[in-house]
Amino acid sequence: MGSSNVTGQAYAFMAMTPVKPAEEAALADYLHRLRDRGPSPLAKLERTHFGRFLIVPDFHNDSSWKQRREEHLDMPYLIFTSNFDGDLDSYLDELCEQLAPEAKEIWGRCVGCPESAKGAALKTYLKRNQIDTGVFFAAYGDATVATVKRRLGQREQMIEFARTSQGLGAEALQQAFLERFGGTS
Amino acid sequence: MSVQASSGGPITATGTGSRNHHGQAIAITVFSTIKWWGRVFLPLLFLVTRRLPRLTRTLRKLSFIHFARWTIVTHPAYNGPPQRNGKLRYPHMYFESNFNGGWEEYIDAFSHILTSGMTAFWGSSYGFPKPLPTALFKAYIQVNETEADHYYSAYPQATSTMIQRALELDAKLAPLKLEAERMEPGAFAVAYRNFLTDVQHCL
Amino acid sequence: MARPTVRMDLGDIQGDVLRAYGNDYGSTTYAFVRIECPPEQARAWFSGLLDHVTTAEPWREGEKPVTTLNVSVTAAGLLALGVSEAVVGSFSHEFRDGMASRSQLLGDVGPSDPAAWEDGLGPGDAHVLLTINAKQPSDHQRALGKMKVALDTVGGLRIVFQEDTELLEGSREHFGYADGFAQPAIEGSSDEKARGGGVPLPKGGWRALAPGEFILGYPDEDTRVDPKRRLPRAPADPLGRSGTYMVWRKLYQDVALWRQVMRDAAALYDGGDEHKLAAKVVGRWANGAPLVKHPDVAPAAFDPKSRGGNDFRYAEDLDGMRCPVGAHIRRANPRDALGFEGHLSFRHRMIRRGMPYGKVLPEDASADDGADRGLVFASFQASISRQFEGVQVQWLNAGNIFGLGHDKDFLLGDPQGTGKMTIQGSPPFFLAPQEVFVRTRGGEYLFVPGMTALAALADGTAG
Repeated sequence: MGSSNVTGQAYAFMAMTPVKPAEEAALADYLHRLRDRGPSPLAKLERTHFGRFLIVPDFHNDSSWKQRREEHLDMPYLIFTSNFDGDLDSYLDELCEQLAPEAKEIWGRCVGCPESAKGAALKTYLKRNQIDTGVFFAAYGDATVATVKRRLGQREQMIEFARTSQGLGAEALQQAFLERFGGTS
Repeated sequence: MSVQASSGGPITATGTGSRNHHGQAIAITVFSTIKWWGRVFLPLLFLVTRRLPRLTRTLRKLSFIHFARWTIVTHPAYNGPPQRNGKLRYPHMYFESNFNGGWEEYIDAFSHILTSGMTAFWGSSYGFPKPLPTALFKAYIQVNETEADHYYSAYPQATSTMIQRALELDAKLAPLKLEAERMEPGAFAVAYRNFLTDVQHCL
Repeated sequence: MARPTVRMDLGDIQGDVLRAYGNDYGSTTYAFVRIECPPEQARAWFSGLLDHVTTAEPWREGEKPVTTLNVSVTAAGLLALGVSEAVVGSFSHEFRDGMASRSQLLGDVGPSDPAAWEDGLGPGDAHVLLTINAKQPSDHQRALGKMKVALDTVGGLRIVFQEDTELLEGSREHFGYADGFAQPAIEGSSDEKARGGGVPLPKGGWRALAPGEFILGYPDEDTRVDPKRRLPRAPADPLGRSGTYMVWRKLYQDVALWRQVMRDAAALYDGGDEHKLAAKVVGRWANGAPLVKHPDVAPAAFDPKSRGGNDFRYAEDLDGMRCPVGAHIRRANPRDALGFEGHLSFRHRMIRRGMPYGKVLPEDASADDGADRGLVFASFQASISRQFEGVQVQWLNAGNIFGLGHDKDFLLGDPQGTGKMTIQGSPPFFLAPQEVFVRTRGGEYLFVPGMTALAALADGTAG
C-alpha cells in the first residue's frame, strides 16, 4: 500500500475479486436493484465521496488491433472502487460492519470470500484483493464529505441571503447577516 | 451515433448508460490492454504525474472532474480454485472518472484540450487511435468502456465546480463572519459589498 | 476575398440553409403533413413538389421568386414514404427517437411537457414539413392554395399542424430584441461572415467553420484534424449527401410576465434601469448592440448586419462585468468565453432560421391578452445531439460549464421557479424570480434532404 492511493486526505481504494462463475447474473441483478428500495447502501459509509461496483466479464480483444495474442479473464471479476476520507483500515472496518448484509450478496458471490462475509475476515479478503492506484486525481482532495456537504449548504444559504437582502439598509443588513451566519460554522 | 454500451445497457440521451448516472454525477470506466513498452513507460508516467502537479493543471482547470484515477493491473490476487493463479499475459490499465456534464462533451474536451495527456496515458494501449479526430477516439472509448452496475455519489446534485466554489466561498466568508459583530453597520455594509463582489463567481 | 477551399454543390442543397432567403420574405408558413395513404400515393404527391423546391443556387438580380418552398421529413415520415427500416436506421438515434421522447433531457417539463403540446406535434403524427416563404401576402395565399389543392388531389394527406408567421417590425422578436442576424460563417459559402461568425482564433482574428458542421457529405471540423480526412457519419446514400438535420420548435413567449418581472426587479437595480437589466439578461440591447461592446448605454443606432456588427468576443470580459456570464446570447454562443482556444464551443454552432409568430403585445399593455405569440425556432446542423441538444442541455438549461452552478438561462425560465441570475458587477445584482417566460408548445426533429435525395425519396429508390 503506497502513498499513490492518497491525494490530500482522500483515499482511492480498489478491490478486484473473481466472481463465482455461476453467480455472475445473480450478482449483476442484485447490484442493479440496489437502489430500488431506497438510497444506495454506500450512503451508510458517510466518508464515501464516490463508489462504484462493476463486473468486468472479460477483456476486450479486437482482431483489428496489433495485439499478437488474445487475453481472456478466467472468469468475470467484480471491481469495487471507492474515493473516501481518511485511512483505509478504519474505513474497511466500517464497511465490513455496516455493509454486512449487502457484502454477503456481493462479495459472498466471489471466489475466496469468507463464509460470513463480514468483520475481520471480510477485511482481510478485501485487502488481499486490493490493487494500488497509479495516479489519483482529486479536485478537492483536502475536503471531507462532511465538509463538502456543509460548504454546499452554506453556498445555498449565501445565494438566498444575497438575493433577499438586496435593498436592505445597513443596520437591517447586518442584523440579517448575523442571524443567518453569526457564530462559527 | 447510436451504439450499444459494451455491457449491453441502453445509451441514454446523455450519451452513456443509465447506470452510469447518480444525479449530476457521471461515471466512466475504461479498461485497456497495454503493449510491452507500456510496462515500463506507464509506471514512470504515473510517478512523474504524481510528483509534478503542473501536469494536471489543465485537468484541474477543466474543473468538471471530481475524482479520477489510473491504475495498472498485472496480477490479481489468488483466492483459490477455480481462479487461475498467475500473472496476466499483458498489463491492463484501469481508468475511472467521476465528472459532470455530458459524456460526449467530456470526451470532446479530452480529445481537443488534453490531446498530449491522452496520448501519454493511452498511447501504449492496443487499438488506441490518436485523440483526434474525436469520432475515432469516442468509438475507441465506447468499445473499451464498461457500464457501472451500481454507482454512488454522496452529493449527487453538486458539480465539482460548485464544490470548489463553495470551498472558496467559505474561505472568504470566514473572516467576514468573525468581524461582522464588531463592526459599525455602515462599515459592515461596505465590507459585505466588497465581499460579495469578491465571491460573486462562487454563487 | 480568399478563394474558398471547399466547393459546394449548391444545386443539390436546399435553399435557406447555407444562406438565408432574407427579410424580403416577410412571412413563412410551416405546414406539417401527415401521410395516411399508401407510400406509392404519398410519393406521387412528393414528386409533384420537387419542381417547386428552392435550392441553394444563388439568385441573379431580378430573379428572386415570389415564394419559396422547402421540404423536410421526420423519421416517421421517411417510413411513411416507404423508406426501409434499415435505411432509417442509418439516421442519428436522436432523430429517430423524436424530440418529444427526449423531453426530460431537453428540459421540456412542467408547462413545456409534451403532454401539453399542441395537437399534431410530438407523438409521430407529423411526417413532412413544408416551409413556404413569401414576399407578399397575396403570393403567400396563392402558394398555400396550391399546396392545399395538391394535397386534396392526391388524397390521404392531411395537415396536422400549421403555423403562419410574419416578421415583426425591425426584425425583432416578441420580447423586443433584434434577433436572428448572428449566424455561423461557413467555409466556401459565407466566409465573409467570419469576423464574428466564425471560430475565434487565439491571437485575434477568426476563421470560417468547416461546411460539414452543417451539411452532410462535406468535411467537418473533425475531418480537418484527421490524417485520413474521413467524412462525418451520415445517413446512407443517396439520402445523406447534401442533407442536414433540422430542429423545429414552437416557443410561446409570455411577454406580459417578462415585462412585469423585469419592471419589478429593476426597482432594486442600478437606479431602476429596466432596459439595462433586460439587456443584461439577453446580452444585447433591444437594437441588437452587444453588451460586451456597449456595456453601459445602448448606442443610438446599431446595424446588426453591418460589417463588424457581429465582431465581438468575451476574452476581455471573462468576469462578466460587461456582459453577464449567464446572458442569453453568451450562453447560446460563448465564442471565446470558455477559454481553451474555443475548443469547448466551436463544434456547437447552429444555423438559425426561426420566425416570430402572433400579434405584438402593445408596449403599454398592462396585462396579458391571452393571445398566442412567440418564436418558431428552426435550426440546421449536421448533428442534432452535439449542436442543438448540446447547447440546450449544457449551456441553456444548465450553468455548470460557466461556473454558474444550477442557474439556467434566465430568459427561458425555470419550471421550478426557484432560479436566479447573477448580474456581475461591483457589487453584483441577483435577479429573481425566474418565472417561466418561454414555454415549448411543440416541436419535431426533421431531416432536410438534398435535391438528389428528394428525387430518390419520390422515386422510391432511397432504399
